[in-house]
Amino acid sequence: MVRAEKLQAGYSGKAVCGVVSFSVHAGQSMALVGPNGAGKSTVVKTVVGQLEAVSGSTLVNGAEVDDRTLDFRREVAVVFDDDAFFPALTVEEHLAIVAAGHGVEDVEEVIASELDFFGLTAQAKSRPYNLSSGQRRRMLLASAFVRPRSLLVLDEPEQRLDTSMRHRLAARLRAEVDAGLALLVVTHDPDFLSAVATKALFIADEVHAMTPKQAAVAIASENPHAD
Amino acid sequence: MTLKINERFSAREIRQYTFRAGLSRTEGGLMELVSEVYTSILGALTLLTMAGALIVALRHSLGVGDVSALAASAVAPGFHSVTLLQASATVLLTLAASLLAVEMTMGPVAMTLPQTAWWLGLPVRRRGFIQPGFLKSMLWPSIAAVMVVLPMALGMAANPTSGNLALSVLCGLGLAWLLYGIAGWCQVTGSGAWLKKAMGAITLLAPLTLVATALYNNVAGTQAVTGQQTAWLEYLPTSWPLLVADGATWPLLMVALALGLLALVYLNLERITTVALKESAAAGAYAASSLLSMDATELSRSLGAGQSSSNSKVRLPMVFRRGTALARSVKTLASTHATMALRSPGALLRVLVLAAIPASLASVEFLGNAILIAVAVYLCAYFAATSMGATARFANGNPAVDMLMPLPAKTVRQVHFIVPGVAMTLWAATGFGLLLALGVGSPALLVLAVLAGPGLGAATLRAGFRPAPDWNMPAVATASGPIPTGAIRAFLVGPDLTLIVLLPVLICLISGGVPSIAFPIQLTLTWLALLWGTHIRKPKSAGDGGMFGMPAPGTAGAGGK
Repeated sequence: MVRAEKLQAGYSGKAVCGVVSFSVHAGQSMALVGPNGAGKSTVVKTVVGQLEAVSGSTLVNGAEVDDRTLDFRREVAVVFDDDAFFPALTVEEHLAIVAAGHGVEDVEEVIASELDFFGLTAQAKSRPYNLSSGQRRRMLLASAFVRPRSLLVLDEPEQRLDTSMRHRLAARLRAEVDAGLALLVVTHDPDFLSAVATKALFIADEVHAMTPKQAAVAIASENPHAD
Repeated sequence: MTLKINERFSAREIRQYTFRAGLSRTEGGLMELVSEVYTSILGALTLLTMAGALIVALRHSLGVGDVSALAASAVAPGFHSVTLLQASATVLLTLAASLLAVEMTMGPVAMTLPQTAWWLGLPVRRRGFIQPGFLKSMLWPSIAAVMVVLPMALGMAANPTSGNLALSVLCGLGLAWLLYGIAGWCQVTGSGAWLKKAMGAITLLAPLTLVATALYNNVAGTQAVTGQQTAWLEYLPTSWPLLVADGATWPLLMVALALGLLALVYLNLERITTVALKESAAAGAYAASSLLSMDATELSRSLGAGQSSSNSKVRLPMVFRRGTALARSVKTLASTHATMALRSPGALLRVLVLAAIPASLASVEFLGNAILIAVAVYLCAYFAATSMGATARFANGNPAVDMLMPLPAKTVRQVHFIVPGVAMTLWAATGFGLLLALGVGSPALLVLAVLAGPGLGAATLRAGFRPAPDWNMPAVATASGPIPTGAIRAFLVGPDLTLIVLLPVLICLISGGVPSIAFPIQLTLTWLALLWGTHIRKPKSAGDGGMFGMPAPGTAGAGGK
């Protein structure tokens, strides 16, 4: 599904972390972990074509990543922490743009289902800037689920979510991975990681591939060699 | 649940849905937006009428002559002006450079941040999202070209005929479209960083050449720069509309070149990357919020010279060991603000350039009219003051830093006044000093302007700490989408105080003399501006006016060892 080959991510030609190589296939979930500022989000943004790679390449379904192609946007759902909303539109109208844009049938039904899952039913007709930051986070996450996806890319999805929502989200993601979704997720939460990931990468100046269990320990100690 | 897919909507349909969904909840029309500023407009008109009456009375009592202020020159007799050609060519060059720099930063193909976040990920052809922005964004440079070129062609042409004027405007449009096309091609190909920097430098430095030439001319005697020596300026591509006004047709080739380039950009619109669209959207959001907050610094970051460098070597002391805790905190905060200002040399240079612009205007033959100079003084003061208000705007958006200090909110606000207050006093001294050097005004006017300086700094605070538009208010439908009521009124917060503070100076500048009563009036207005600018609106939940709306912790933190 997605393969990064000797990828170096960074800004203005300067790498921010070590060389990254990994692949995530359907039914697999890769967690990127590491300390703050290690370059995890930069790697993910580069993988989905939102940043130019310093060196190396990323392939999605065998083709060089290019988010200008329709196929890429059809297959890949990305949720970063973009706090940008249409101020005059409601929560459900935002989700309707995504669902309708992807040609989803029964838009209302799908949106109602996701609002229910993310605990936003009562806020469906609220405008985003009237929501709490946690609720806006839920809304952003919901936008990835009202559309079809083969690869889901999430940057610290656990941020600003309460414990119950984290658990529900982790369980849902795991179920979707088991059903064939490819998942690439950046996380700092060992429990979330343990519940969701099938493999992990510790990113810092050097990059280490590891099992989810090792990664959970490494997060706790921020030491890639912890076991 | 399993998602079933049927036919996708087009980009156009999604765009229309987004627009209409927003408008569906609007509750008013354009007139409601106008009516909310009705009292402000009436107030401003009343103020200007009173100022006009005062000017007439003052000119009469000072005996400055029978010529109306509308026609009288403010420049001392015998002053050697810069030629109209040099001035026109410099203005056209400056405007073209700033237009290109701004277009390159804001796009020129522009989308909003929510549009980039919610539209660009959809599997529909992006042309439907991008193309309207491409066409709409062409409108502004086109309007600017007509507004600038037409009066210049009228003023400069030896025998202006309607045909030549029309062709001159067409050439101006060609120039604007060519610049737009260059910016568009740079956006498509992700190139042109050096060009943006060069345009920023031209924008800042070109106006200074006018003042420098005028000052040189007045000491050089027979060596003064002549019209013949500056004739070549007419052949700069940015001056070609002036050549067309005089009958030349070959510069119209620029129109064909521009159309060709625009066609090329149009065909390649879908090559623009998500990164480029997001960057321009962020710059657009920055510029829009800076316009709302009267923020010239943020706006002119688009000129590529205003960003503070992360590698700046400016290091002012932040830790102070002497004095009470209150005094040490005040010093730390003031030092922080000064450091932020000094780390933005581009902003400081811009303030200096803005001080020279009224003098630049005065240095041009036929343009040394007091009313024109007064308008320039007001606009430049407005932009210079906002350039110095970066810390206030930052603190308004990110109050956490201010809250780190064990200081009452009122004191923090007063500390925010120090940098803009001092800077604007120096600005007034420089601006009116240059005017005096060119024979405009008097030493008394210079003193009056310096007294107004701190008031201008206070106006910056009023603008910097303005409340954001409230989207819970009823929205009004406009061509650009829904706007909450109260948004238009927000535009006036800041410029109003700038005008009030400058009124005595402007009246005396136009009147041609400074009566002694002007000084106490100016001092009073400056003092009132200071009170107004440092006033803190009580948060709705505030009880007793404690720190940032939180309960005041007694006197803790205000004392010290």
